Amino acid sequence: MLDAERIRADFPILSCRTNDKPLIFLDSAASSQKPAAVLEAMDAAYRTCYANVHRGVYALSEEATRYYEEARDKVTAFINAAAREEVIFTRNATESINLVAYAWGRKALGPGDRILATEMEHHSNIVPWQLLAQETGAELRYLPITDAGELQLDALDDLLDERVKLMAFTLMSNVLGTITPAAEIVRRAHAVGATVLVDGAQGVPHLPVDVQALGCDFLAFSAHKMCGPTGIGVLYGRRALLEAMPPFLGGGDMIRRVELHRATWNDLPWKFEAGTPPIVEGIGLGAAVDYLNRLGMDAIAAHERDTARYAMERLSALPGLHIVGPPADRRGGVIAFTFRAIHPHDLAHLLDTEGIAVRAGHHCAQPLHARLGLNATTRASFYVYNTRADADRLAEGLEHVAHMLGKAV
Amino acid sequence: MSDVYRPHILDHYANPRNQGRLDAPDIVADADDPSCGDQLRLEIALDAHGRVAQVAFEGEGCIVSMASASIFTESVKGKSLEELEALSEEDALALLDAPVSAARRRCALLPLKVLQTGLKTYREPSP
Repeated sequence: MLDAERIRADFPILSCRTNDKPLIFLDSAASSQKPAAVLEAMDAAYRTCYANVHRGVYALSEEATRYYEEARDKVTAFINAAAREEVIFTRNATESINLVAYAWGRKALGPGDRILATEMEHHSNIVPWQLLAQETGAELRYLPITDAGELQLDALDDLLDERVKLMAFTLMSNVLGTITPAAEIVRRAHAVGATVLVDGAQGVPHLPVDVQALGCDFLAFSAHKMCGPTGIGVLYGRRALLEAMPPFLGGGDMIRRVELHRATWNDLPWKFEAGTPPIVEGIGLGAAVDYLNRLGMDAIAAHERDTARYAMERLSALPGLHIVGPPADRRGGVIAFTFRAIHPHDLAHLLDTEGIAVRAGHHCAQPLHARLGLNATTRASFYVYNTRADADRLAEGLEHVAHMLGKAV
Repeated sequence: MSDVYRPHILDHYANPRNQGRLDAPDIVADADDPSCGDQLRLEIALDAHGRVAQVAFEGEGCIVSMASASIFTESVKGKSLEELEALSEEDALALLDAPVSAARRRCALLPLKVLQTGLKTYREPSP
């Protein structure tokens, strides 16, 4: 087991106070905190080896380029991609998905074709496909979920046929915590010839992910949810697909040669990286990958499973508290719930006065909330630096709120 | 406590004033807040002098938005259309008599927003 107390010491912000109370941070599903190793790597990059990458002939630029491109190698190994050319740096998972919709989807889809997503997707894995469907005449359909918040896999046979050109689904729901049987879904989607995109925004920070074992064609994720900085994300894509795709954004760095009326494209991965990239953010992502590897993704997943199981036991014991989603053994450390008739915004606000940071609202998953028959939920999400004591504080905070509101709610 | 959840706010939430519908409202508006899903419907009946004779609201939402609706409807009774149109965000927040943090302004201002929508429709009815 991980030593959570030692890990907490790696994260400077966790010793801060908020509202005059020790900070209990339970919103890592929105964005994680950063260990000192990441902050120091980024600070050192700006202080000692910063210059623009890929074009300088001077030593400083070569050094910055080396560190930036080393980060790509680290990510390549982290997800077990076949080659570094398959790892594109973007702004975040959302941009990664939009890149696929724009550069792959507009060529690959047409009228009569289908896109299959699921009812538990984040808006970033819905809206790009709506735009693509409107543009190409393709039809967007959804794999339903069960009342328990898991994918209805038996509906896949009906929904999957040769008309489905793209299947897009999440590795882990950002509301239900559900971990999907991704490799099985990929296999079944491939059997009808569909290309498969996996949204790894929640999954990659919390689970060991191997794209060879997963078998997916595209995988999108963000650095800021996995101990890295904001402003950089990753699109993994199979090389043959990326080679065949036109560029996404045009500009510097993504070209080989430019004339007044035409241009040719740079090699992978730079063909999809126009303009000055997030250099120091890339170095920060590399440091985050090093940090996660040092702890071990299996150990991180086990720690979160244990913490989430404990938190679910504590929360379930509160009268009037209802957790959405599957049991602890089939989910990650994301726990969304309703508590009596207390509106999630009131709940989150009052927990904040106790130093407890949770999220309230639809968590960018309005269709999922509509399916659940809820306007909003309160979400507590756990990461590697959260402990059972945090779950205790949350449960105590909820009891305090219930007591404070008394008969009003 | 330096927070919005004061006893009078909780009381307006638990025992809302002017909740319900009117038989013959002159001004009607609905709105929802896309960030939280809060919903509010406001109805106003005017008297012969164009002043608020009756007011009612229905809604679903957080303590701040619903208590604000209750307090707000109490305050508009007897006001003329011009007086309603002159109500500012600061006026609406002052009615609450409790501190409203930046994150909760939208909740507190939902009744004013709905009123402004209703007034606009009343003045410029769509064809």
